[in-house]
Amino acid sequence: MEQERLRQFDWTLILITLAIIAMGVLNLYSATFREAISSGGMTYYKSQMIWFGLGAVLAAIVLAFHYKLLSRYGYLIYFGNLLLLVLVLVAGKASLGGRRWIGFGGFRMQPSEFMKLAAVIAMAKYFENDRTTGGYRLRDIWLPATMILVPAALIMMQPDLGTAMILILTFASLMLFIRIDRKSLLILAATCVIAMPIAYKYGLKDYQRQRLVTFVNPMSDPKGSGYNSIQSMIAIGGGKFLGKGFKKGTQSQLNFLPEHHTDFVFAVFSEEHGFLGALVLLALFALLFLTGLNIAYVSHDKFGTLLALGILTIFFWHVVINIGMVCGILPIVGVPLPFMSYGGSSLITSLLGIAILTNISNKRFMF
Amino acid sequence: MSFLGQDEQIREFQSRFRYLYIVLGTALALLFARLWYLQVIRGDTLRRYSEENRIKRVKVKSPRGMIFDRNKKLIVDNRPAFDLELTPEELYSTKEWKKTVEHISRIIGVKQDGILNTLEAAKGQPRFLPIKIKQDLSDEEVAVIESHKLELPGANIMMDIKRTNLYRDLASHLMGYIGEVNAAELPKLNRGLSADGIPYKMGDVSGKSGLETRWESVLRGIDGEDYLEVDAFGHRRKATDSIAGGLQSKPSVPGKNLILTIDQDLQVAALEAMHKLFGDKKIGAVIAINPKTGEILASLSQPSFDPTEFSRGISPERWNELLNNDYHPLRDKTIQDHYSPGSTFKTITAIAALEEGVIDENFTVNCSGVLPFGNHPFHCWKKHGHGTMNVVQALTQSCDIFFYKVSQKLGIDNIAKYAMMLGLGRKTGINLAHEAAGLIPTEEWKRSRYGQEWSPGETLSCAIGQSYVLTTPLQLANAYAAIATGGTLWKPFLVKYIESPDGRILKEFQSEPLGKVAISQKTLDLVHKGLYQVVNDPRGTSYGAHIPGIDVAGKTGSTQVIGLSAAKLRSTKCENMPFNLRDNGLFAAFAPPDDPTIAVAVVTEHSCHGATMAAPVALTVIKAYLQKYMPDKYSDAAIKLARKEKSAARKTAPAAEVPPEETVGD
Repeated sequence: MEQERLRQFDWTLILITLAIIAMGVLNLYSATFREAISSGGMTYYKSQMIWFGLGAVLAAIVLAFHYKLLSRYGYLIYFGNLLLLVLVLVAGKASLGGRRWIGFGGFRMQPSEFMKLAAVIAMAKYFENDRTTGGYRLRDIWLPATMILVPAALIMMQPDLGTAMILILTFASLMLFIRIDRKSLLILAATCVIAMPIAYKYGLKDYQRQRLVTFVNPMSDPKGSGYNSIQSMIAIGGGKFLGKGFKKGTQSQLNFLPEHHTDFVFAVFSEEHGFLGALVLLALFALLFLTGLNIAYVSHDKFGTLLALGILTIFFWHVVINIGMVCGILPIVGVPLPFMSYGGSSLITSLLGIAILTNISNKRFMF
Repeated sequence: MSFLGQDEQIREFQSRFRYLYIVLGTALALLFARLWYLQVIRGDTLRRYSEENRIKRVKVKSPRGMIFDRNKKLIVDNRPAFDLELTPEELYSTKEWKKTVEHISRIIGVKQDGILNTLEAAKGQPRFLPIKIKQDLSDEEVAVIESHKLELPGANIMMDIKRTNLYRDLASHLMGYIGEVNAAELPKLNRGLSADGIPYKMGDVSGKSGLETRWESVLRGIDGEDYLEVDAFGHRRKATDSIAGGLQSKPSVPGKNLILTIDQDLQVAALEAMHKLFGDKKIGAVIAINPKTGEILASLSQPSFDPTEFSRGISPERWNELLNNDYHPLRDKTIQDHYSPGSTFKTITAIAALEEGVIDENFTVNCSGVLPFGNHPFHCWKKHGHGTMNVVQALTQSCDIFFYKVSQKLGIDNIAKYAMMLGLGRKTGINLAHEAAGLIPTEEWKRSRYGQEWSPGETLSCAIGQSYVLTTPLQLANAYAAIATGGTLWKPFLVKYIESPDGRILKEFQSEPLGKVAISQKTLDLVHKGLYQVVNDPRGTSYGAHIPGIDVAGKTGSTQVIGLSAAKLRSTKCENMPFNLRDNGLFAAFAPPDDPTIAVAVVTEHSCHGATMAAPVALTVIKAYLQKYMPDKYSDAAIKLARKEKSAARKTAPAAEVPPEETVGD
């Protein structure tokens, strides 16, 4: 029986993930081996490895239980997380112009990262037993929409535009997949078009608006808000086909590239390993998505399918938006690249996501 | 939990998976395409940008050529100077930064507001870049700042190599000063370059006046370039091996040295002599030439300025002060100003008269002190007259009446002929800017200039170097140099040779003749005799300035600076007139009289008398020269010995002929 379970254990995703994490840690080492995290004095890559250890333990725990438990406690997890988000706003730690963290002794946790998982779990649970056919109309989805918009709003207040956006995009993507009534879709689309300029004017902070302006024309302010985008493109392009070599990326080593351990890790990687390296990384992510989609496809359980798709959607938008912005085809919004960017909460969330996907995969024969 | 309907839903979901694959494929393809575009298509360009980011070109300053005197005594050098800089990043790191500014203000004597304004003006630039607060700190300031460094966060002393004139305001006009090339000069400088010349850039330095600008192409040091790796904050990193990347650092090319014909000791002697007579109110020019070559041995113009001040950036206040000074410290009076030569011109009138045959050595004039001329009597400077004068005596005693009479026989054009032969009335062509031509009038000149006929009375005034006649001190010295040798009129020059930075002679300059002096030996002998007696005969006008043992032949002069009526002129003693109206004193001389090796002209403005206020300067310069270059004849010991022998000789044979008579003046 044990052997049977082991044979059924799907290692594919875990192996892909480990490969990406290994590249991520090495890349962090290259980008930041000189620097220490201001508070602890520990280097980023070592810290990241500790987070990985912690994440691995949590992932193992997730793998030990049936993922159906997530359905049972879905709302509990959701509301617990929502509470944490409120707590962040009330008693969070501020850094880099935002209030995103709450402290646990020596650790800091970013509840918005976990919220993404909690939200897709809650959504999967909500739609699991729903039997609406022929597309959802607006009145059918106001409740799940609220479920997403409330945490999204809380996250927006931190402010963390990127994460909030990922949340909404994930919800929208899932809804499109689940299918929305054509008329409702048109109304929604029209509302978005009308709401966009209003949101631009009143919903965004100055620096966020500036980012959009410089996205359209980075050269409008090359030393200011366009700087990051330009330096990032220079880093990536400067890597050319084969890259400048490990620890030899001048853009990141000499600090021309900002945030080179978080949002811009992909630029560091591409500068040092070139088009070839970037291609390998992109291929690994592609493999992860394909494997994940397969898991969602073969799951005999609606909750499993939706949950798997939800998690994949989160990963998908992270990867696309992060690489897109670093490459200059999307505006700069703070979205980390899963497994590559430095950050404990992000890494643990991603690992939990992989664990849940693997869990779903492992249980596919049990129905 | 009912699974009813779930399977159908899952199957329906599965039917939509192809859309997911399409979305995923499209997104990844887009990213792939973008990466291809950035890393492959634009890779070279972006790689270059990243190189430009990290590699900074830095200037490697190269020293400008040095200037030496004829004996390789250093005159203009490049010396370290210390500047105070403040780095905002460090300054603002403490809360008490205002106290730091206050402290610094006290040490360097610059107002706090001034420092704060300087800091304010630099607000836009990165805070790690130091800001220059004060240039050229004194040694004490450097010491105080260095010893209080810990209490002055952000303060830093930077050393820079700067142009330094070792003799400060001595011969500043000659050396000139340097400054940063400005936008207006840039095209002109670059047009003047040779084909393989390296263009000037903004921020380079170039000569702005004097030799510094005339010999710019020789003195100019060409800055090199080096490449450094810097990080985003501009901090220098150690240059890495990977830095080369086809970027060649360019070595700096130091400027070549100039070795002048000037003898700095003579300059110092001239200045000291002037200082002895005038103290701080020195106004005038001293110029000494080697009559056999045209080499300028000394060139001094007073008042003066310190070129170092200019080369290091002069303050507008100081600039205005110099510009508005009544005695024009910025003008080189040796070549840029012309003066009436006065009685020094009588030598030329005498030469003209003897050469044209209108007089000979036996021709005499009886000077009664006044010459009636129409209704305008001409007076001799000696009220009651000199009595009977021949040409030698007339030169010795500077008799005006003699030369008035002679000039009537000569006419202005004959005087002008010899004046011009001796280089007066035209530029000498010395390689310096803004040389004045002076003026030697002729009848034709007056017609074309004023449309009037020459009036005979003007000839009289011109014959004694007044009226239209104007010469620069350099012309005067050069004319006397030509009279001294009677051979060639040389073009005066200042640079003996150009030397490479490692001391090899690159180019030596030869004398250039301006013309032959066609004067008969007989005339020369008579004129030389007259000039010798000016200094050595007790009746000579500058006998009082005579230095025993130093053989000099010369001629005094004193000239009105404004046209006062003769009556008023004679009724008021020069010293009692307002300073600005006082006469200029002149003296032109050469030595030794038998084989001249130095000719000197001295003009002292508003000094009243050439004999007492110009001649001593010239004689001091000549003495310094003779003692330095002909010590076996003119050293103090040699002179003493010669006098002893002479007095011994006099005891044996009674010498007489010289009747003592006091005449000091001209």
